[in-house]
Amino acid sequence: MAQNKKLHFIVIDDSKLDCFIAEKIIKSTGKCESIKSFLQAREALEFVSKATVDAQSQTIILVDIQMPVMNGFEFVEAFEKLPKDISTHYTIYIITSSINENDLDRVHNYSSVKQFLNKPLTSNNLAILLNND
Amino acid sequence: MNNSEKIKVLYIDDEPNNLVGFKATFRFDYIVFIASNIEQAYNHLNANPDIRVIMCDQRMPDKTGSQFFEEMRGQYPLPVRMLITGYADIESVIDAVNKGHIFRYIKKPWTYIDIKSAIEEGNLYYSTNSLLEVKVKELQSAYEELGKFTYIITHDLRGPLVSVMGAIELAKSMDSIDELKELVGMMDAAIKKLDEFIKNTHEYYSIKRGMAGNEAINFNAIVADLEALFRIAGRMDNIRFTVNVNQTGSFYSDAMCIKIVLNNLLSNAFKYQRNTSVDKFVELDIDVADNNLQIVVRDNGIGIHNDHIENIFLMFYRATSEESGSGFGLYNVKDALNKINGTVEVNSIVNQGTTFKVLIPGKANGTK
Repeated sequence: MAQNKKLHFIVIDDSKLDCFIAEKIIKSTGKCESIKSFLQAREALEFVSKATVDAQSQTIILVDIQMPVMNGFEFVEAFEKLPKDISTHYTIYIITSSINENDLDRVHNYSSVKQFLNKPLTSNNLAILLNND
Repeated sequence: MNNSEKIKVLYIDDEPNNLVGFKATFRFDYIVFIASNIEQAYNHLNANPDIRVIMCDQRMPDKTGSQFFEEMRGQYPLPVRMLITGYADIESVIDAVNKGHIFRYIKKPWTYIDIKSAIEEGNLYYSTNSLLEVKVKELQSAYEELGKFTYIITHDLRGPLVSVMGAIELAKSMDSIDELKELVGMMDAAIKKLDEFIKNTHEYYSIKRGMAGNEAINFNAIVADLEALFRIAGRMDNIRFTVNVNQTGSFYSDAMCIKIVLNNLLSNAFKYQRNTSVDKFVELDIDVADNNLQIVVRDNGIGIHNDHIENIFLMFYRATSEESGSGFGLYNVKDALNKINGTVEVNSIVNQGTTFKVLIPGKANGTK
């Protein structure tokens, strides 16, 4: 991906504070075209499945694991069932405060998940992720 | 010693005289079952799973005593096994010990003292083993709980902490006072969530520990205490709170369990209000009549969706994204009610409100 290309971001986390932190850090990278936060994964899924995607654009989704109603894993499972012409425009990163091996191992089972990041999200972590992309 | 405390003993021998003699000798000391063949022995074992000691003659027509012990051991592992024989046959002794796992080997002709001391020691061995089994089960469930807790500590406790760490990092590079204030407000909420979780964990262990208490409950005092706490914490702001306590006669139960039930139900009722609602209310009705307690907590808050209602009492289940829920509160309510034989039912309509109805039978004054 070209370094200068602008990216869209979606943050899914039931903690308002974590959404706020993620938004601030993402904006500070200067690579952010747009950013949307969702406190509920179900609403994010609804948004992703209905949004019109510009063929050239790429959206990065940062999703938490532990959330009530629909958790991060359930979101990823539902996302993987979306039509290919939608899902191909998104890259998912799981962002978690979990240090549980089972949770972390489970991340590898989902082909749509690029990698997981530890909370708290920092400018450094995000910069590394964007440069590797 | 009454009958229910007497040790149950099964004696198997193909010679009727031995059976009669055994039963006549020990019928006052123990509850004695006699069997002249293996089939009868199994019938007794099936009908009396609490038989503690089995004594079996080695030489019988269909099977030897050690063969019988070897075969019954898998299905009935608990009773203590003893072999009785008149023949000093070393092979059968070895078999009985190695395959039948016998506790004692008794020589014929036996004396009263031989049998009596063998049964008493066998009984002690049985009790120790049974106790061990109970302890092993307790230990297994404690390990499972520990596993659950370790898992929880890694997110529910670590989550808010990590959020605040992130916020502090962010704050270092912030210049706007307004932004900083917004951030501090959110940090405050995260820390309160952590605090609530720790308090709930404390409640959880308080319920698990010890027997249910039996003390006179003063509902007006409990409600006044809770109300003061909610008020100080600003939880009741703009919410109309009405309390009706109707108590005729005293009510005895475990005060801590009742406080936990009231605290969690009220706390939820205050917490899960609709932001847009202009007339928010929480009603608490407490009725004590005929030594039965009924608590009703009613609110006009966000309600609980039908899909979630059957899961709300599960540990760490959260039916809403409301940020400060720990997934612990209603589990503790259920747990506390189990301890004092209470029941709870819930009725809820989304965006209209929720009603919890709790019934608790009182203890008779002074009984433990």
